[in-house]
Amino acid sequence: MPLLEVEGVSKAFGSLKAVDDVSFAVEAGEIFGIAGPNGSGKSTLFNVITGIPFGPDKGRIRFDGAEIQARPGNAIARLGLARTFQRETSFDGLTVFENALIGASYGKPGRGATEARSRAVEALEFVGLSSSAFGRLAGELSVFDRKCLMLATAIATKPRMLLLDEPASSLTKPEIETSIGLIRRTAERGITVVLIEHVLTFLMSLSQHLLVLNQGRVLAAGEPKSVIADPRVVEAYLGTRRSAA
Amino acid sequence: MTLLDIAIPSAPGRITWNREAIGFVVGFLLLALLPLVFGDSYSRHVLIMIFIYAVVASNWDLSLGYGGVFNFGHLALFGIGVYVYSLLAKMAGIDPWIALFASGVIATLAAVLVTIPILRLKGIYIILVTFGFAQLVMQVIISQSDLTGGTQGLVRVPGLYLFDHNMIRDGKLAYFYIALALLVASTLFLRLFVRSRAGASIVALRDNEEYAISRGVSLVRQRMVTLAASAFFTGIAGAFYAAYQRNASIDVFGMSLATIILSMVLLGGTSTIYGAIIASFVLTVFSEAMADFGAWRPMITALLIIVIMLVYPTGLVGMIRAAWTLVAERIKRRA
Ligand SMILES: Nc1ncnc2c1ncn2[C@@H]1O[C@H](COP(=O)(O)OP(=O)(O)O)[C@@H](O)[C@H]1O
Ligand SMILES: [Mg+2]
Repeated sequence: MPLLEVEGVSKAFGSLKAVDDVSFAVEAGEIFGIAGPNGSGKSTLFNVITGIPFGPDKGRIRFDGAEIQARPGNAIARLGLARTFQRETSFDGLTVFENALIGASYGKPGRGATEARSRAVEALEFVGLSSSAFGRLAGELSVFDRKCLMLATAIATKPRMLLLDEPASSLTKPEIETSIGLIRRTAERGITVVLIEHVLTFLMSLSQHLLVLNQGRVLAAGEPKSVIADPRVVEAYLGTRRSAA
Repeated sequence: MTLLDIAIPSAPGRITWNREAIGFVVGFLLLALLPLVFGDSYSRHVLIMIFIYAVVASNWDLSLGYGGVFNFGHLALFGIGVYVYSLLAKMAGIDPWIALFASGVIATLAAVLVTIPILRLKGIYIILVTFGFAQLVMQVIISQSDLTGGTQGLVRVPGLYLFDHNMIRDGKLAYFYIALALLVASTLFLRLFVRSRAGASIVALRDNEEYAISRGVSLVRQRMVTLAASAFFTGIAGAFYAAYQRNASIDVFGMSLATIILSMVLLGGTSTIYGAIIASFVLTVFSEAMADFGAWRPMITALLIIVIMLVYPTGLVGMIRAAWTLVAERIKRRA
């Protein structure tokens, strides 16, 4: 049974169908890529899956056997489905350590203070934030460090699945390399990863399955190689590039 | 999860528990010695009022500063304390100490009730609803004039007692120490709370609601916890105020008291707890010192607040920190 099953999910903003009848399934243990031009509904899809800030208008979402489409976001997080946001986000008034402690304390029910503490430290070290940074206010960190911190707070919740929304955006080349390594190691921890990226090459090197969205609909899905060979995918990408130019 | 179970043992980047405990004990010991310096009952009265303001302001800092919840009904929680105490102690004849405790409990319940309508609201709408709540409480009190005395208020409210100590002819010494004990208990509670994981979670919700929820924090639960936690000692302070003044009046619902307390929260520097307490001292003492200026007094006070906030946007605490850094540098250079 897949870990995540999305069935006929839709979300509209007025007359704009941001996500339109989308279905797919993610198997435990894989890295699953989601691509699509800007505005194709990728982030909205993550929003409705995680219930943050809203669930879908229509459709069913099953995570680890439980139907989650009507549950509140914090309950979904506590089931072990964590996410990051496209823009680097942090609790600016809290220290780096406290940021991670939030994930470690509230991510899964019934956790003592000592265990949460060590889980927070472990998650921070995992993403490469050194203990000298633990006492700094999160708002003072660089973009890259804040992205790493956002990943650490997610990992501190001890998720089974992690949804990453464009982790490489606004990063430099070497930072992107580091991110790729981090995502690989996240998967090696046994966390199933769903990865949004609009740069196809990034996804090609990481994911076992690929889904391409266009204007809220599934354009193509399957093995990365066959997906990017699909003429409709080529057209959607070239089309965007032309209109952007 | 209880409060102490979730207290963070040590947090990098924050002042250590040991240091804070030393400062806390020294600070409050100094306050406890004040009656030696101020023997007259007028000075002691001012100090008692400062302690009451400090409790109300620092508890407001919890919901407003840490929680980012614009609860403009905070003074209504104080007012509820005033009236619950007065009604229980005077009308129902209940023991004043039990009535005092019950006032804190009822204020807490009232805070939980106000949380419900503001759960789905943000910013200015929260101000509107909480302000409306304060008005509602006041109107209910006015309308039940048989019990509450309406706009006349209640007089001859029973005071507190301590064994068979004479509370009236002791130069306000007993009330001074009860007020101080109240401030100590409230401050201890607030500092433990804001340094706990629950305290971190309400800051997380303030900084980014969606992000906090995505890490498992419950907005509903933590909002309730925030307002409830800020209400208990506020309600007790109201009850103490009624017991000390021996009366209850709807003036506590007025804008002028709310404005004074809010200035204390902001002038002190939000999200510190101690800032609100320091500002209660500074503003009250300043206001007393300016008594001769009559109508000019509020204007001078307002100007002072504006100037301090312009120079030190983080309030008095920011000012003290800046001064401290300066002194520390001087000492270093000399060494
Ligand atoms: N909260 C919202 N309200 C209205 N429109 C939205 C909202 N969020 C997204 N949209 C619109 O939905 C479409 C898909 O957006 P998004 O999911 O962010 O795309 P992507 O992440 O693929 O770039 C866009 O046209 C965007 O403007
Ligand atoms: Mg997006």
